[in-house]
This record gives sequence, C-alpha cells and structure tokens, in this order.
Amino acid sequence: MKEAEMKELKRYPIWSNCLYTFRALRREEGTRAFAVCVGDTLCSVLLPFLEAAMAGAAAACLVSGKAPWVRLLMVAGYILLLQGVRFLQGNLKELRNKLFFLFRIDITREFERKTLEMDIQSLESAGGRKKWEAAQRNLYMGNGAGIEAYAKSYWDMLANLGGLAVYGVIVGRESGFLLAFLVLQTFIVTGFHLLAARRTYGMEEEIEDIWKEFRYLRRESILPGNGKDIRLYRMDRWFPEAMRESIRKICALIDREENGYMAAGMGNRLLTFARSAVVYGWLIREMLLGSLGLPAFLLYVGIVAGFEAWVRGFLEAVINIFSNEKIMKSYRDFMDYGIVEEGKPAPGKQGKPHEIRLEHVTFRYEGSREDTIQDLSLTIRAGEKLALVGRNGAGKTTLIKLLCGLYRPSSGKIYLDGQDMQTLSQREIFREFAVVFQEVFAFSFPLSENVSCAQAGTEDGERLRRCLEKAGLWERVQALPKKAGTSMNQDMDKEGVTLSGGELQKMMLARALYKDAPVVILDEPTAALDPIAESEMYEKYDGMIRGKTAVFISHRLSSTRFCDRILFMEQGRILQEGSHESLMKQGGAYAELFALQARYYQKA
Amino acid sequence: MRLENKRLAKGMGMDKESKKGTDRECGEGRAAEGIIGRLRAVLKYHKTGLELMKIAHKVDSAAIPLRIINSVLQVTGTYLTLYLTAEFIDTLLAGRFSEGFFRGCAVVLTGLFLGVAAKLVEKAYGKSAQRCSLAFEVMMREKAATLDYETMEQPGVSEKIFKSERIAGMYGGLGSVVNNYQGLLTGILEIGTAVGLIGVLCFSSPSEEGFLLAFAARPAVSVILVLVFLALTMVIRASGNARMVKATGKYLQDHAGMELQLTYLLSRVMMNLQAAKVIRIYDMKGMLMDNMDRWWEKNNQFYGNMCDMEIKGTLNGNLTNGFFTVFSYLFVAVKVLSGAVTIGAFTQYAGAMMKLSGGFQGAAWYNTQIKLANDYMTDFLELMKMENGHVAGSIPVEKRLDGEYEIAFQDVSFRYPGSEEMILKHVNCKIKMKDKLALVGENGAGKTTFVKLLCRLYEPTEGVITLNGIDIRKYREEEYRELFGVVFQDFKLFAFPMWQNLVTSYERDDARIRDCLERAGAAEFAGKLPEGMDTLLFKDREGGVDISGGEAQKLALARALYKDAPFVVLDEPTAALDPISEAQVYAGFHEMVRDKTSIYISHRMSSCRFCDDIVVFRNGEIAERGSHEELLEKQGHYAKMWHAQAKYYVNKEGC
Repeated sequence: MKEAEMKELKRYPIWSNCLYTFRALRREEGTRAFAVCVGDTLCSVLLPFLEAAMAGAAAACLVSGKAPWVRLLMVAGYILLLQGVRFLQGNLKELRNKLFFLFRIDITREFERKTLEMDIQSLESAGGRKKWEAAQRNLYMGNGAGIEAYAKSYWDMLANLGGLAVYGVIVGRESGFLLAFLVLQTFIVTGFHLLAARRTYGMEEEIEDIWKEFRYLRRESILPGNGKDIRLYRMDRWFPEAMRESIRKICALIDREENGYMAAGMGNRLLTFARSAVVYGWLIREMLLGSLGLPAFLLYVGIVAGFEAWVRGFLEAVINIFSNEKIMKSYRDFMDYGIVEEGKPAPGKQGKPHEIRLEHVTFRYEGSREDTIQDLSLTIRAGEKLALVGRNGAGKTTLIKLLCGLYRPSSGKIYLDGQDMQTLSQREIFREFAVVFQEVFAFSFPLSENVSCAQAGTEDGERLRRCLEKAGLWERVQALPKKAGTSMNQDMDKEGVTLSGGELQKMMLARALYKDAPVVILDEPTAALDPIAESEMYEKYDGMIRGKTAVFISHRLSSTRFCDRILFMEQGRILQEGSHESLMKQGGAYAELFALQARYYQKA
Repeated sequence: MRLENKRLAKGMGMDKESKKGTDRECGEGRAAEGIIGRLRAVLKYHKTGLELMKIAHKVDSAAIPLRIINSVLQVTGTYLTLYLTAEFIDTLLAGRFSEGFFRGCAVVLTGLFLGVAAKLVEKAYGKSAQRCSLAFEVMMREKAATLDYETMEQPGVSEKIFKSERIAGMYGGLGSVVNNYQGLLTGILEIGTAVGLIGVLCFSSPSEEGFLLAFAARPAVSVILVLVFLALTMVIRASGNARMVKATGKYLQDHAGMELQLTYLLSRVMMNLQAAKVIRIYDMKGMLMDNMDRWWEKNNQFYGNMCDMEIKGTLNGNLTNGFFTVFSYLFVAVKVLSGAVTIGAFTQYAGAMMKLSGGFQGAAWYNTQIKLANDYMTDFLELMKMENGHVAGSIPVEKRLDGEYEIAFQDVSFRYPGSEEMILKHVNCKIKMKDKLALVGENGAGKTTFVKLLCRLYEPTEGVITLNGIDIRKYREEEYRELFGVVFQDFKLFAFPMWQNLVTSYERDDARIRDCLERAGAAEFAGKLPEGMDTLLFKDREGGVDISGGEAQKLALARALYKDAPFVVLDEPTAALDPISEAQVYAGFHEMVRDKTSIYISHRMSSCRFCDDIVVFRNGEIAERGSHEELLEKQGHYAKMWHAQAKYYVNKEGC
C-alpha cells in the first residue's frame, strides 16, 4: 500500500474501529447480542476448566474412601455438570455465530446504499475503485474475514484472557515458580507464532491479487457471450493453461505461508515436551514430599496442558483482529469517501428548457497526462438543438458528462440558467437531464422498470406505451411472454428475455422519453439500428425533443441535419461551429468529414 | 482434520462456514424398514464418491497413501497415549514416583513423536486438497470448451457450472471428498481400536463383591449395557441426522442460487461503472434499493432458517452425545468401584468409550458428507459426461493456399433451441470464392444467425451447409473453424496483454503483430499504450488500462487479420468508429482481405459500395441479391434502405 493511502487509513485507530463495530452491532442486532456474547464467553472459560479438571475430579471421587454409592453419585454429579455446561456453551456458541453472520448481512445494506449514492467521479476514479474493492472484502469474503470475524475475535480474545487469568490464579496459588515458568513459555510460544503470522500478513495482498486473476479467468472462460470468440480463436486451450499457471502461483504462495506456521508449530511441540517434563518433575516432587495428592496432581496436569490452549487461542484472536483491522479501516475509508452533498439547493426553473453555459472549462481524468477538455467556453441556449461531432477521443462524451453534472470541471465553471452547478444539489440537477449513453445494456429487471426507473406496478401504463411506441419498440414488447413485465436477461429470472442490440437501444431511448426531462442528451443512439429504423428515429426526433434543449452525438453526420448548431470538436476544443450549411460553405474539418462519409452515398 | 476451507471460500458471497468436529450431528440411517433399499443407496453414492476419488488421485497421486498413513499415525498416537497415561497414573497411585516420572515422560514423548510425524505427513499432502479443488474448476472448463457452442449457450449450462463451483467453494469440493474419505477411515480405525479396549473393559470381572452395582460390571451384562446404550444413541442421532441431511441437501442448491444472484447484483449493478451513470441520472437508487430490499428479505429469512437448522442440529448432537457420555463415565466408574479395573485405567477406558462413540459419530458424519457431496457434485459429474450435441466430424479440411473454398447453404432453415420462431427460412446461398459479400437487412432479419451457422456454432434445423460440396458436419470441427476469422458485433477482448489478445496463444511474432495492427488502423493508439504490446487490457487485473470502444474494435479487427483465415467475416466492424477511422477501414478493406473471401455486415449502407455482391435479408429469407447498381435498379427493399440513409447525404445543393 502506498504512502498516501496508508496515511489516510491512520485516521482509523484500532480503538475507534472497535467502538464503531460494536456500536453497529448494537444498532443492527440490539443489546440481546451482547447478552449472548457475554454468556458464551463465560461458558467458554468455564467449560475447558471443567474438562481439564475431569481426570482429577474423577480420581478424587473414586479414591475418596466413601461408600461406593456415594462415590458413584459424586462422579455422576460432576459429569452432569460438565455436560450441562457443554450443552449450554454449544448453544450459545451457535447462537453467537448466527448473530454475527446476520450482523454482517445487515451491514451490507449501508454499503450498497453508499455505493449507489457516491458521486460518480469519485466512484470511477482509480482511488475510488480500489477503495470499493478493499471495502467489499469486509463483507463478502465469507465468515472468516471482515467485520464478522473482527467482531467475533474481540470476544474470543476476552474469553481466552479470562481463561488465562483463571488458570494463572489456580497455578499461582499452588506455586509461583510454576506460574513464572509457564509465563516464560508463553512468551516464547507467542514469539514463534507472531513471526509466522507476520509473514502471512505481508503476503495477504499478493495472494489477493493472484486470486483476482484466477477468478477473472474462471469467470470469463465460460461466460455466455464469450463462447464465440473463445472457439473461433482457439482460446479454449489458452484459458485452462492460464488458469493452471495461476493455480501454480497460488499453491506456491500458500506453501510459503504454511511453512512459516509449520516451523512455529514444530518449535512449539518441542517446547511443550520440555515444559511437560519440568511440570511433571515438579509436581511429582510435591507428591513425594506429600504436599500433593493424586487428584490435585491430575488437576494441575490438566490445567497446565490447558494453559497452552488459552495462549494459542489468545494469539489467534489477536492475529485475527489485526489482520481484519486493515480491512475495517479500508471499509470505513470507503464509507467516508466521496463528495458530501448535504443541503444544496435545487436549480431554479425546474422542468423548463435550460440554458447551459461553460466558462473556460478544463477537465482532466485522474491519472491522465493530458487534459481531455481544454479551456472550453460554450453557451447552449434554452431550447437549442445541438450536435457534437468529432473523432474518437475528441472529448464529446466527456463534455456531455460535464454538461449534465456527472463530472466537475478541473477548472472553470458551468452555469445552469446562471447558477453555478457546483452550488446546486447534484441529485436535483440530474432531474433536469435525460441521457442516452453509448453503452447498451439492460438491468436484469422487468422491462417496465428499465424504462420507468420505478418499481414495477407503479409506472404510468399509458405513458409507458406512448414512449415505447415512439421508440419503435411497442410491437416487440407486446410479443414478449409477459409483455412489459418480462425480465431482461436471464441472470435473475430464468424466463427472462435477452433483447438484441438494436432493441436495447430503442429501450434506452424509451427510457429517456419516459423521463420527459427538459434537457435531452443522446450519445450515438442509432449505432445499432438498421437504416429504416434509424431513418424513422430521425423523422420522429423533432417531435421527441420539441420544447427541450437537446444535444446529439453521432458519427453519422446525417443526423446533424436536424440540429440548429453543430460543434466540431478536436482534442478537447471546439474547432468549428455553425449550422450544417454554413460549415459546408466554410470548408474545413467538418466539410471534409462530411464529404468523406457522403462519398459512398453519392453517385460514382 | 480441518476442512481446508480457508482459501476455498474466497470470492464474493454470503458464505456460512461449514462446520465439522465431533459435536456435529450425524448418524447412519439404520431404520428397520427398507434396509436393502438403503444399502443400495449407500453403495450408489459411494460409487460416485470413489469416482471422484479417482479423479482426485489423478491430480495428486501421493495424497491418498499419505493420508492413510496420517490417519493410522493419529489413531495410534491417541490410543498409545491413553494406554500409557493409565499406567502412569497407576504408578503414581502406587507411590512409585521416580518410575512415574519416566512413565509421564514416555506419554509426552509418544505424543510428541507421533504428533510431529502426523504433522509432517499432513504437510506433505496438505496442498493437495487445494490443488484438487482448483484443478476441478480447470477440468470443468476444459470440458466446457470441448462442448459445442450451442450446448454451452443454453442458459442452464453455464449456470450449472457456476453453481457447482459456488457450492464447492462454500461446502467443500473435490478436495474435501478426499478429506471425507480420510475422516471415514479414521473413524473406522478409531472404532476398531476402541472396540478392542472396550472389550477388555467389558470382560474384566469385578473383584469386590458387596457392591450392589457389581452385577453391572459382569462381562455379559457389561456387553449388553454397552451395546444397548450405543444402539440407542445411534438411533436417536440417526433420526435427527436424516432430517438434517434432507434439509441440507435442499438448501445447498438454493444457497448457491442466491449467491449467484448476489454476485450479479454486486458486479453488474452496484459496481458496474456503465450502470452507475444511468442509475444516477435516472434516479434509480430508490428502485434498486427496493429490489435489493425484496431480495434481502427473502434471503434473510433463508439465512435465518439455515442458521436455525444448524443450531437445531448441534443441539441434537450435543444432547445425544451428552447422553452417551454420562452413561460411559458412570459405567466405567462402576467398573472401577467394583474393582474390575484400576483407577488409573478410569481415564483410559472413559477415553476409549468416548472414542467409540466419537468414532461412530465421525464415521457417520463423514459418510453423510460423502452423500451430500454426491448430491452436489452430480452437476459436475453430469457435465463431465455430457455429450456433444454436434456429431463429431472426422474429415480433415483440405489446406488450400489458393483460398479456393466454396460454401453453399442448401435450403437451410433455422430456429434457436427452445424457440418457436424460424429465424432463417429456406435460405439458398452460394458464397463464391474470393467474393466480397455484403449482408444487409433489418435487425433480426437473420444476418448474424447466418454467420453463426456458417461458422458451425449452430447447426441448421433443416437443410445442409456444404464446403466444397461436402456437408460441413463431416469435417473436423476445429479444422473447419480455422477457416474463419470473425469480428462479431459483440466481440470480446480479454484482460490479457494486448499481444496475447491478438495471437491467442503463447507464440509471439512481433513483426506479424505490428503488420496487423497497422492494417487495422490500430498502430497509432497501440504505440501510445504505456507498455506497448505488453500492456494489460482492462481494469479487471492489476496494472491494466482501459481502452475505448473504438480502440477495442480496431484490436478485434487486428485479431481477425492475424488469424489469416481464408474467410473473413466482419459484423458491424465500424459501429464505434468515427468517420475518418471508418473511411480508413473502408479504404484498407481491399488490402485487408485481398486474397480472401469476405463477408461484411453493416447497417451503414455505404459499405455496400465496395462489395461485389450484396445479399439482402428480410424476415429470415434472402429477398434480393446482386450488385449495388443492379439492386438499385430493382427499386426493391435494398433501394428503400439505401435511400433511407443516402437522402441525408445527397441534397439539392449537391454536397
């Protein structure tokens, strides 16, 4: 992780993340959650103790010299107590697991809302995307990582600390020496463990990158839609090979990871042996001296053996906390990211055709070496019909994103009816625009939702019909199995329908029409349409945008005939502007471009 | 043995950790009725299990023998320790302390050695589970690649694959099949050893009379008691387990389906940057959150039920275990009190009893897992056994350097599988050698379908397509495909280095790559890429760069050129290109396809000007065919489409 990123994350110290998590837990799951956790922790401390003491207790009962019945009852009593606690603990543990699982699920809601609300410039930026990816790991990596594991680990740590304390007291009362010895051993074991863990910790990101690669290959190799190219270009051999290469890398990394733990484990075992020898020696000496009976001996043996389990458990919990700490920080970083939009006013003249004025606007994409829009000044009059033409990369699409407020200029200002757009509420600005973007796709929801952008059933049926008709899609919709209620694509609904590119383009046009916003922007809306459909669209175009301000981008210069003014863009600047006739008279870039395209349509 | 699930459960998903261990509810169905039926069912899923084991063995042949050794070591270690501990305690009780000390050390040493040995062996096979699971996914893809396109495109198939993997990832896939068999083996070994010890326990007679319960310590009674309680425990467990298994099997599938939907929502809706613009402009947040809410409600309930079910299972398990534990300890205590065994042996025999129960429980649990795996691996096995829909051809395709291939459609009709509508109807078309063919027609008229049939991605419903007179189905499919270089309308490039996208293998010929980039008009932008030809495309992987639609289209063109196939098919190759780039493509077209037969599909009628032969599709039939001039004269459908577009470019001013 780079310097700047690390500095950002320092804003979230560990105690703050702890508080954040548990406040969230109380909010989502209530105080009942804490009761369950406390109960589980207490039982977790008690149970191992009872189990460790089992041998000693049984021996105590059996040698006690009382009547056989009494001895039997004593054993029975102890066993029943043990089982009772075990049962209770098992229950509480399961309950606790369920709780934390559902907690994680509930937190995802706020994450999704944030993703949908964040301003697009932040979301699209490289930093934003990275943050999103890091943040989603808090929630979507299963039980073992993220906020669920993080919260659980605190309680586990508490339980282990509790166990250590209890055992420490018990051993300490018998012998200070023994306690000291055990503490020493603890430190050494800790050392081994931490060394191994630190190695793993550093490799997390590397492993994640390789997994990302593997997952990409895994998905793309059989995604429907990729099949044609994979077969025709013999990629069916290439993908599996690349996957195998990925697997090799993953296995090598995991191997390294395990080696570390392996070595630590070995060291620990040797130490355990040494410790056992010392403890046995000490305790037997005590027995020899008569100050210790067999039951007590067995008890202490059990306790000493259990001591190590507490230490290990404590360490694991702490390691878990630290490894998830990073993820929590990333999560909070994402949730706090983006431009805050509170309390900005709506633009004036809502619903009326707008004038948009750009003053010395410059825009550069994050991480780019050049400006995409260079010192551009432009006034679009209310109700004007504008066409934007130019080569790929001239900045047309970027310009329209600036116009509708999706992007903010790097420098310069954009005014909507004289109001600086940056002082207005972005959401309210969007209301004034209906945009058809270049990318053609449908959400895997019912068609009506795709067009009306509202819950199925709440749309205006008549309006929907009119817009679908105008877009030339009505007949097709009527032919669908569930008409406008048919789901698009087949991801969410097996009985969904996949529309063709041209049909999708018409659907997107219908969406723009349905919104009926005062500014309409169309980016290549006829790219996938056949000549007849395209021509029909041009015929209807006037009717569609009557009374509105409209911007039209197209590579098909035929479309520019319908616009009042044409802007020819090149490398982020406006090179020429005027009506079609005036530009043809002027000669220059536009005229050349038009001639180039027209050449094939004219008589040879 | 832990299920090495840590790494397997990665990826986006609301995974619920699979749990294991002796507390798990389990049990072998031993109901009286239908024993033969049950036996048969058991054999069946073990047959599948062994099939899967064979596959796993192929991936890593050392794993299974090593695992067997590991199990033996573990069980031996446990019992030796138990036995030695008993002796140790008795020695101490007898007051022989120095001997006791050494015995104590013996116990620990045994534990140490056997433990270390087992750990080393585990390390040796440790990675194999992981490798198995990953290899399993590669296997599925290799198989998928051999299946014909038509089969793969059916919506169920790829979903089946994704689901298989989802389930495998969440609940353990191929790797855990081997784990499960090892668990089964360990369980059986434990039962065996325990039975030995318990036999000794049962048959040791009481010595002290005068203890009322001494009769319970008599051999015959002991054996009966043990058997009765064991049987009772197992029956109770079994009934609980049967319920669990049924419910688990059902929710496995549902769970996987839901995870898939979640993945869709996350990657295609939430984090899809294309969608993000639309969502904001059209204020779709409300609708999306509502949809998500509804989805969440359904799933929350599901997850809640899933958890509750697991809780119930654990409760059940704990109860039955507790029941047997209490009995065990009391039984051994009676044995001790009646003098049948020493106090030191108390822990040993109590331990053995627990192991007996645990062994049965473990064996039954792992057996259940094997059964469950059988259920959810069926998809995988079915896929592996899937037959190609297309008959495999066997004739090699003649390699002709002169490009003299002739393809003919003879009365071909086609409808997509599962659809009623005929997309192509009685199409008769000869593609002459070295023809420059243009296909025009409305959306849905059948142009792209024609191309898919040509490449044999689909097979005609009626009629036959021939190459040089022979039905194309008779040719070897891979060789037939070598004849076509296609740029589809929805072409795909992948997040690989740019040159790999063109070359689609690992043999790199830089000069040829540069030539193709040049001819496709992509040389300029390729030069500007940060790492030139080695630049990773797209942001899916670290260090990739985004490319625009137009740039992608040029790369796809370069890819088709690189293949250097005798047939070149371009489907809307200039849709995303600006007029100058488009003109470049048009100008270079002849050069691009000089010795080849080419098919050009486009809505831009201008492209028809440089094609010799134009085929007009209408409603799935070939309505007209001829050169541009001929068709204009006919004043038919072609003329109508032509004028619809041309009228904007030709006006009174004569521009």
